[in-house]
Amino acid sequence: MAPPALPQLLEQLSELLGRMCTEAATSLRGAGAGLLDGRLRLAEKIVASDVMGELRAGVEDVATDALLFHAPVAGDLRTVVCAIRASGDLERMDVLARHVAEAALRRQSRCAVPEQVRPAFTEMNRLGVEMALKAAEVARTRNVLLAVELDGDDEAMDDLHAQLFGVLMDRSWPHGIAAAVDVTLLGRYYERFADHAVLVADETVTAVTGRRPREVAEFLRAQRSATG
Amino acid sequence: MRDLYQEQLTGLADALADMCGQAALAMEHATRALLDADLQLAEQVIADDVRIDDLRVAAEEKAFGLLALQAPVATDLRVVISAIHGAGDIERMGDLALHVAQAARRRHPQSVLPDEVVPYFIEMGKIATALAHKAGDVIRSRDVETAATLEADDDAMDDLHRHLFSVLMGPNWSHGVGPAVDITLLGRFYERYADHAVTVSRRVVYVVTGRMPGPLTV
Repeated sequence: MAPPALPQLLEQLSELLGRMCTEAATSLRGAGAGLLDGRLRLAEKIVASDVMGELRAGVEDVATDALLFHAPVAGDLRTVVCAIRASGDLERMDVLARHVAEAALRRQSRCAVPEQVRPAFTEMNRLGVEMALKAAEVARTRNVLLAVELDGDDEAMDDLHAQLFGVLMDRSWPHGIAAAVDVTLLGRYYERFADHAVLVADETVTAVTGRRPREVAEFLRAQRSATG
Repeated sequence: MRDLYQEQLTGLADALADMCGQAALAMEHATRALLDADLQLAEQVIADDVRIDDLRVAAEEKAFGLLALQAPVATDLRVVISAIHGAGDIERMGDLALHVAQAARRRHPQSVLPDEVVPYFIEMGKIATALAHKAGDVIRSRDVETAATLEADDDAMDDLHRHLFSVLMGPNWSHGVGPAVDITLLGRFYERYADHAVTVSRRVVYVVTGRMPGPLTV
C-alpha cells in the first residue's frame, strides 16, 4: 500500500498533536476535580488511562513515515521535527496531570489541599486546562498569534505559584510539614504543566516561522506597539 | 558520500554525549555550591547554562541537516529521532542543575541544607553526576549493558529521595516549613535529573534492540 502523500501526513501530525493537547487538558481537568472536589473515581480513571501513550506512538509513526517516504526538507521537515519534540512535552503534561490525580487518591481520607490554598489551586487548574486547550488550537490551526498569548498565561501561572509559596512560608501555616510538602509538589506540577504547554505552542511557532519563538514574540510586540 | 554520512552520525552522537558531559559538570558544581554555600560557583553554573542550551541548538541542527541531506532510513532514522528527543532531555538536565544552583544562591550566605539531610544530597549529587556521564557513554558506545546499570543507579536515587521525605516528615524535623519546602523541591530536581538521564539511555536501548525497556516510574 502506498504511503499517504506528505501534506496528508503533516495534516495527521497536527491533528494528533491537537488531540494530545485536548487529552492533556482532560487529564488535568479530571485530576483537578479529584483533588479539589473529591471526585476520586475520575482521578482513578485519569491514572489508569493510556490514551496519551497511544497518541504519542501515533505521532512517532506518522513522523517516521513522513521522513522515510518523503524525505521532506525546509518548512515541511521543520514541521515533522517540531511535532516529534512537541509530543514529548505533551506526554510529560499528561504525566504531571497524573501526579495531581495520584495526590488526590493518596489523600482519600482528608482533603488534599488545605482551605487557604484552595483558591490558588482552583485557579491554577483552570488556567492549566485553558492553556492546554489553547495549545490544541495552536497545533490544529498553526495560529502564531494565539501561541504568543500562552506566554501571558504562563506568567499568570507563575504568579499563582509565587502566591502559593507566600502562603506556605507564612509563619502562621498551621497544617504541618506533610501538607506543606504536598502543596509544594502540587504547585510544581501545575507550574511545569504550564511550561510544557508554552513549549508545545513554541514548537508550532518554530515550525511555521523558522525562527525562535522569542524573536517572533518580540517582533509581534513591536508591531503591536507601532500600530496601536 | 557514505563516509561523510557516517561521520555526521558520529558527530551527532558526540554532540549529545558532550551535552551529557556539560550537564554532569553543571550538576557536580551545583551540588558543591549547595553543600558549601559557595556563591561564586553557583553563579558560574547559572551563567554557564546557556552553553548547554547552545549545544542543544547545535545538536538539533546536526540532526536537521542529516534528515534533510541524507534522508536516513531504518536504524539510522531511529538514531536521529532519538537524538532529537535526547537533546531535549539533556538540556532539561542542565536546567535542573541550574535550579539547584539558584537555590544555593537564593539562601546565600546561609546553607539551604540542615545537617541531617547533607549526606543525602552528597549521595544524590554523586549518583546524578555519574548517571549523566554514563548516559554519555551509552550514547557513544550504544552498549546495552551499560544502559542497564543506569536503571540500578536510578533505583538508588529513588530510594534516597523517598528516605529524604521520611526525614522531612519525621518527628525529629525541627527546621519548620521553609527549609522543608526548599528540600522538597531540591530532592525533586535530583530525581528528575536522574529520570532524564535514564530516559536518554533507554532510547539508545530502543534504537539498538527495537524494544523499549519497561515503563519508567516518574
